[in-house]
Amino acid sequence: MKLNAKVPAGPLPQKWDQHKFDLKLVNPANKRKYEIIVVGTGLAGASAGASLAELGYNVKIFCIQDSPRRAHSIAAQGGINAAKNYPNDGDSVWRLFYDTVKGGDYRSREANVYRLAQVSANIIDQCVAQGVPFAREYGGLLDNRSFGGAQVSRTFYARGQTGQQLLLGAYSSLMRQAAIGKVKQFSRREMLELIVVDGQARGIVVRNLMTGELESHVGHAVVLATGGYGNVYYLSTNAKNSNATAAWRCHKKGAYFANPCFTQIHPTCIPVSGHYQSKLTLMSESLRNDGRVWVPKKKGDTRSPEHIPEDERDYYLERKYPSFGNLVPRDVASRNAKAVCDDGHGVGETRLAVYLDFADAIQRMGEHTIKEKYGNLFDMYERITDDNPYKVPMRIYPAVHYTMGGLWVDYNLMSTIPGLFVLGEANFSDHGANRLGASALMQGLADGYFVIPYTIGDYLAKSSFNGVDASHAEVKEAESQVEANTQKLLSINGKKTVTEFHRELGQIMWDYVGMSRDENGLQHALTEIPQLREEFWQNLLIPKDSKTLNKNLEFAGRVADFLELGELMARDALERKESCGGHFREEHQTPEGEAMRDDENFAFVSAWEYAGLNNAPNMHKESLTFENVKLTQRSYK
Amino acid sequence: MATKLSLNLQIWRQAGPDKPGKMVDYKLNDVSPDMSFLEMLDVLNDDLLQKGEEPVEFDNDCREGICGMCSLVINGVAHGPQKGTATCQLHMRKFKDGETVTIEPFRAKAFPVVKDLVVDRGAFDRIIAAGGYISINAGGAPDANAIPIPKEYADEAMDAAACIGCGACVAACPNASASLFVSAKISQLALLPQGQPERYRRATSMVAQMDAEGFGDCSNHAECEAVCPKEISIAHIARMKRDYLRSVFK
Amino acid sequence: MAEEKAKLWSSVGKKALMAVTGLLLVTFVIEHLLGNLLLFTTDPDPFNKYAYTLMSLGKLLIAVELVFLAFFILHMYSGLTVYLSKRKARPDSYRKSGNAGNPSKKTLSSTTMIISGLVLLVFVAIHLKTFKFGPHYTTFVDGVEMRDLYKLVYQTFAQPLYVFWYVLSMVILGLHLRHGVWSAFQSLGLHHHRFTPAIYTFALIFAVVWALGFIAMPIWIFFDPLNVRQDVLNLM
Ligand SMILES: Cc1cc2nc3c(=O)[nH]c(=O)nc-3n(C[C@H](O)[C@H](O)[C@H](O)COP(=O)(O)OP(=O)(O)OC[C@H]3O[C@@H](n4cnc5c(N)ncnc54)[C@H](O)[C@@H]3O)c2cc1C
Ligand code: HEM
Ligand code: SF4
Ligand code: FES
Repeated sequence: MKLNAKVPAGPLPQKWDQHKFDLKLVNPANKRKYEIIVVGTGLAGASAGASLAELGYNVKIFCIQDSPRRAHSIAAQGGINAAKNYPNDGDSVWRLFYDTVKGGDYRSREANVYRLAQVSANIIDQCVAQGVPFAREYGGLLDNRSFGGAQVSRTFYARGQTGQQLLLGAYSSLMRQAAIGKVKQFSRREMLELIVVDGQARGIVVRNLMTGELESHVGHAVVLATGGYGNVYYLSTNAKNSNATAAWRCHKKGAYFANPCFTQIHPTCIPVSGHYQSKLTLMSESLRNDGRVWVPKKKGDTRSPEHIPEDERDYYLERKYPSFGNLVPRDVASRNAKAVCDDGHGVGETRLAVYLDFADAIQRMGEHTIKEKYGNLFDMYERITDDNPYKVPMRIYPAVHYTMGGLWVDYNLMSTIPGLFVLGEANFSDHGANRLGASALMQGLADGYFVIPYTIGDYLAKSSFNGVDASHAEVKEAESQVEANTQKLLSINGKKTVTEFHRELGQIMWDYVGMSRDENGLQHALTEIPQLREEFWQNLLIPKDSKTLNKNLEFAGRVADFLELGELMARDALERKESCGGHFREEHQTPEGEAMRDDENFAFVSAWEYAGLNNAPNMHKESLTFENVKLTQRSYK
Repeated sequence: MATKLSLNLQIWRQAGPDKPGKMVDYKLNDVSPDMSFLEMLDVLNDDLLQKGEEPVEFDNDCREGICGMCSLVINGVAHGPQKGTATCQLHMRKFKDGETVTIEPFRAKAFPVVKDLVVDRGAFDRIIAAGGYISINAGGAPDANAIPIPKEYADEAMDAAACIGCGACVAACPNASASLFVSAKISQLALLPQGQPERYRRATSMVAQMDAEGFGDCSNHAECEAVCPKEISIAHIARMKRDYLRSVFK
Repeated sequence: MAEEKAKLWSSVGKKALMAVTGLLLVTFVIEHLLGNLLLFTTDPDPFNKYAYTLMSLGKLLIAVELVFLAFFILHMYSGLTVYLSKRKARPDSYRKSGNAGNPSKKTLSSTTMIISGLVLLVFVAIHLKTFKFGPHYTTFVDGVEMRDLYKLVYQTFAQPLYVFWYVLSMVILGLHLRHGVWSAFQSLGLHHHRFTPAIYTFALIFAVVWALGFIAMPIWIFFDPLNVRQDVLNLM
């Protein structure tokens, strides 16, 4: 199958407008005849569900948590970008587009990114109208800040809880539709299979997580907004329930998986404290605006930070990147932290941490100002570590945070399975090899509020549908597949818990498919992961009752999928013999140790087609052409 | 390195919604004070699994105090002893070696137990559906800066909007009233110009739904504010009451 | 109209009703103690005159009494429903109960409102039986014949058991007022970041002062340091 991104012709700024005009519309009276299944209630899913219902479609929406409001998007802290240019500091749709393409290290699709920048302004309007209490200035107008090293202030925020507020806005719109019956809400349901009939995505099989019953839901299209797969690393900033299962099962049914190796490692997280560690907590990137990163110059220095004199400290980011200093992009900051720790300069009990020091800032601006700016972050840090960051420097270390890869979609956000649309972090579309801070929230809402309402209508209007109900052979087939899979898990009488397997997989992924990768390591991962998978299916220890709430069973299914996805990530990383964005190959770096892209040979999206568990997957390439930006090597010196 | 703790845990076990439940004793040694409370339960569950026993089911997701999924009443206090902290952010250093720690689910008729420590908080969704929104369709919004909002109002709205919907207020309330949760939403929207057109309708319909769900009445014990991980003030309950009463006499 | 009525019986409406009726009962309590102060004098006349003036209001007094009665019943009724709703809302109680501490206002007073309320109900019933519907002594003040309540009071509080019950009831009244007085403001939506803490403290002071005030009277009369009882009871 040849990949067709369906990017409309014409000059970049007009593509979306022209496309919207060219898309077929569904007659208002007919919309209520369509049933749309939305999986996921994060920013992407909730906004899509609400918008589609507002248009008149019947929506069924699913999530794993006990309420749509708890989707993982709730945890986003920093903010959301939009090309509003309220501060008059030179922002524009074009600049946001440009920054995003450049930030993604030229591995994203120009047309998608441009559209994202275009609709970004509408998102803010929409959210304010919903009652999202964004930060404001005394004049009553919206406040903006610069985020993640951007040169303009285009980030809107609601304290340190931007994701929460945006999600609650989308959720409230969703619940408004639920009240009038346009949205039917199914919480504590996990999608375990996609139902494909006559080549079209027509429904899903879910497990009711409270009773263990399988339920099938059929409709005319399926919208997948199930988030990212960072939890393949076990430890990440993602919520415990974040997973790849829905996307992976769709992949196995024919949806291509794009750029799986593109993972973002966030530089400022609270370090691991012990073996029992269950997740990592992000400390907002904004801390780097005022904190200084350093390690002791002496290797293995175990003195406490206040006993290390100034001239024995290495402010390595300031030293290596004099113009950006502590504000270098995420991937650069992360890699450098790992490098100094690998080199023996790490601090803290585990030696896997660097200091983020506010002493200078406190001296310069006073503790009061620092408290105003970062009070809640400092409190959070203290709650977790029992250290007072006003007095001693924070300890931070990079952690897996976001996955740029995901199911391949065309310009209409449709996957390679007709009728299966993929939104938000679950798709691969907009961030290339690296995502800019505050752009994921923007993308999720853009997809849900402003893209899918148009493109899904075109699909529905142009397709013909055969009647499908719960007794259809494909539905039964999907159900029995799920049942078989569950029984297979339950039939293992092993000794190792799901968590242990997950932890081991995470360790392999972190060591060999993590912040920097090389051929040997990746090959190693490609032998270790299948071995671990083998062991998993022999030696899993799991409570046997499937007809009740059984979290171990849920997680077992997810870890089983991670054990397959992890392998694909390693394979993708191995094939991409260049360094770009979050993907750093040791073999491909400049003499100064910076990432070296190979635009000649790797300016493409790798889209993987599943070929069975024991067969190597097929890689398809969507080549990326850049007509509007000039490819340059990033430099933060 | 701080010394490890030994704990006597008394945990509510209940096999299913209509099954009887009881407190069961467990002993757990070698608990690191740096563990989070939920990590301590993870360790207990690993133990139980290895011994061939059923692990304790409890809700959690973000483990950073924002999703509102975690619950638990610890030693009789919802979300445990630390102020302004959800269970997932509570750490074991707040407990003493040898301490007996009781762990119970959020108890309320409107929050039926699903299993062990897991309860169903669907009532909150239905209350929001009854009016916790501003009626605006995607695409119909005016420019975000068209209506200036005084910073004080925006800030106070944000104070209320910070609610994570965990339900601890219900769990802690001697009457199992949901007033703090409901008022946080009513108050947030009442403070913003965008919320004015539906302001009084919203108050009446959300309160009506709250009552229909079987929550108790508010006796102003203010225990809710004391356990709320976002320290939401009962001042919002007062605003809800004002708006509601105004709607009666309108 | 039906809708308005429904709203008044909602959780919020009901509590507003409680607050209004409760505050009205509080005004009664305030007035009652001020009247009682006249019992501390050795001269029975001012007290009897005061009672006489009230009673001579005639129909107006009956009207006021009926209003109080109605409010009392409303207050009781809504108090009972609050209590019953609470029982229903948490059928299975915690095996271990705790208190989250500041800024919680959960106190002995707030958690025993239904008990203190019911004790007050019994108290009021007995109180009315003893005094309003008790023995009718008469006296002449400035040549006018009127009921000698002063005497009745002095007679009643000579009985240790009655004094004990009265004192106990007044402690309980204090308990009811400690939470009730601040709570009523909150129930009406009257919250202010500065005034509310003040009201909360005021409620405590008010409850203590009024309870002590009510308690002082029977104790004073029982111990009768100025030896008034002899005179009053033997006067006729
Ligand atoms: C700690 C943290 C901070 C962040 N801060 C920022 C920030 O400041 N700015 C920014 O732009 N981005 C930020 N991000 C990234 C951003 O939050 C996410 O990329 C984005 O919210 C993803 O939204 P989503 O709608 O795609 O998916 P999610 O919000 O992850 O939602 C996934 C949904 O799918 C459901 N689901 C998943 N699998 C299944 C299944 N099998 N069956 C049924 N339902 C399923 C889940 O229940 C959930 O409802 C942050 C991320 C993290 C982890
Ligand atoms: C002298 C008589 C009384 C006075 C001055 C009085 C005063 C008050 C006041 C001011 C309140 C606060 C109202 C609120 O929270 O909004 C209150 C509450 C209450 N009263 Fe009374 N009251 C009296 C008698 C009674 C009686 C006879 C009962 C019997 C049932 C009663 C039961 C209650 C209850 C249960 C509450 C608490 C309601 C709640 O928990 O929300 N009271 N009272
Ligand atoms: S008001 Fe506080 S305690 Fe209640 S649901 Fe919201 S966050 Fe939880
Ligand atoms: S697990 Fe999300 S708030 Fe505790």
